[in-house]
Amino acid sequence: MISRLVDDKSRAAIAASIERRRVDARGLLFKVVLQSCLLITLALLAVLLVTVALDSTDQLGTRLWDFLQGTLRSRSSDESLGIHQGMYGSLWIAIIVAVLAFPIGIGAAVYLEEYAPRNRLTAFIEVNIRNLAGVPSVVYGLLGLALLLNGQIFGLDRLTGGSSALSGGITLAILVLPIVIITSGEAFRAVPMELREGAYGVGATRWEMIRTQVLPYAAPGILTGTLLSMARAIGEAAPLILVGAVTGRLGDSPGLFDVGALDDRFTALPIIITSWTAQSGRDVGFAAAAAAAIVVLLVFVLMMNSAAILLRNRFEKKRG
Amino acid sequence: MRNSRCRLLWLPALLVSFSLVAAACGGHDEEETSTPSATAGTGTADQTASVSGEVNISGSSTVEPISIRVAELFEDVAPDVSVNVDGPGTGDGFKLFCAGDTDISDASRQIKPAEKEDCFANGITDIVELKVAVDGIAVMTNASNDAVECLTFEQLFDLIGPDGEGTSTWAEASAGLPDAPLDLFGPGEESGTFDSFIEIVLEDLAGEAGVDATTRTDYSPSGDDNVIIQGIQSSDTSLGWVGFAFAINASGVKLLEIDGGDGCVAPTGDTIASNEYPVSRDLWIYVNADAAAANPALVAYVDFYVSDALSQAVGEVGYVPLAGAAHAETAERWHSRSLIS
Repeated sequence: MISRLVDDKSRAAIAASIERRRVDARGLLFKVVLQSCLLITLALLAVLLVTVALDSTDQLGTRLWDFLQGTLRSRSSDESLGIHQGMYGSLWIAIIVAVLAFPIGIGAAVYLEEYAPRNRLTAFIEVNIRNLAGVPSVVYGLLGLALLLNGQIFGLDRLTGGSSALSGGITLAILVLPIVIITSGEAFRAVPMELREGAYGVGATRWEMIRTQVLPYAAPGILTGTLLSMARAIGEAAPLILVGAVTGRLGDSPGLFDVGALDDRFTALPIIITSWTAQSGRDVGFAAAAAAAIVVLLVFVLMMNSAAILLRNRFEKKRG
Repeated sequence: MRNSRCRLLWLPALLVSFSLVAAACGGHDEEETSTPSATAGTGTADQTASVSGEVNISGSSTVEPISIRVAELFEDVAPDVSVNVDGPGTGDGFKLFCAGDTDISDASRQIKPAEKEDCFANGITDIVELKVAVDGIAVMTNASNDAVECLTFEQLFDLIGPDGEGTSTWAEASAGLPDAPLDLFGPGEESGTFDSFIEIVLEDLAGEAGVDATTRTDYSPSGDDNVIIQGIQSSDTSLGWVGFAFAINASGVKLLEIDGGDGCVAPTGDTIASNEYPVSRDLWIYVNADAAAANPALVAYVDFYVSDALSQAVGEVGYVPLAGAAHAETAERWHSRSLIS
């Protein structure tokens, strides 16, 4: 009886709505908006990279090797202008962060995720670690200043030599510690419960279960998180300024692997970039030098990130 | 078993990745090459060459390049002396100096009584004050602006001081000046040039007028001197101020003569060195003489600082060297260790 109630007009309309190619206008619009978000991000990044790369050619294009070997100088036209001292500082800061923050951070995450009971106290601790990850980096610089330079607690300044690469590295290790704990914690949480139950099922102790199942499974995630936090540490300038990184001139230029210079005055790549950018008001050539230092820092970070990605892919393949 | 191998692998792999990064950047452990520039001898070159030690300098970012350039020239004379220079600002520099953390404090003004008391209270009593260079501040307009040649301190106060707030033409700010749009460009508050300009030009007049010693707030401030120059170039009737060394090399700008009460004086190297050009300031270093008595490297460095090398260094980094007599006085003050009291 229905067909009778529906007149010819509405029948035609229904037929049209079924046969017509449907255009989901709003869906399309949404997709375009999302695409433009991505495009804006990429465009900004591209503009940044292109301008920095173009600016840097004055230094990197003509005297790459000298620039990598050179030191902080008063004039941008100086033949021995370069970033060797900054690379020494940044390299050792990275190493100190890796040696200190990674084991402690991953250890704390293992405890929080696998051992600690779920109660108000641990929830409180976790919330606080998350808050610590959001604390401005300058505050960590002040902590480093009080702890490692002024020796207000434990007299640690005698160990670090005051204003030194060691102090800078320890300060930044403290800075990334919460980030390492959080990202490692997430990685442990992503390990399927079945793996743990399976290990217990064949009689493994908790330690054996963590060692043979949880850690290997979580390794790629941990690796990604920790290396991203390392990239953050290498790019930080503000805490290092408080720890006394030198902006003007550093008398010594130690070899890259000269451990003996770790407790001497130091500088780092982000500090050099800041300083040279400020100097470009007086001596325009420093703008090109700052751009070149940015390129070197970017390469440094990209190499670390690609190492992380390669390692992660390896682990994931093995995990199968 | 495959899993446990993974576990063992990842930490060493991490370390290997670092050494790869390091190795790729590495391989240049040799001593830095010395600059082939000529250096002024101090007469005791043989003795100086064998000196070793460390000298720590902090303070004004304006004076910083001079101390660095002197250190670079000194490196050829005494390669074993390690000179570290930092430039957080004159005030911060004195804090470090008075805490005994630095041997020399760079300063773009003389030490304040409060800072001196701080030093004395910390047992740093033997301080030698040395004038090392002169910095002029150039007041500029666009090169095509023929209507203005010379400005008095009063006119500068009207144009740039707090009473000028809200005025949009030269005539409106200061009667007698052309009726043309006033586009103002200058350094921001963080700049040493900003402070100096207030101290030299505005402070006294602001005191007389009973207003705060500062600039008007409605101008385009920039920490980058290039941006200020670009601003001056962009408007036919612009007005702005930057360090003389920077302005003298800029194109498209006209440096105005300034009347500080004794007639119009154009900014040149000579008029600034003689303090004849009124908008100029002296640059100083403060040496801890106690530290010098215990540190031959510091003595050698300051000996070299006050030698002929100073004029070369000052010129090379863009400031105005001291006139002969003033230079001789600086050297004399150091060699006789004339202390501030």
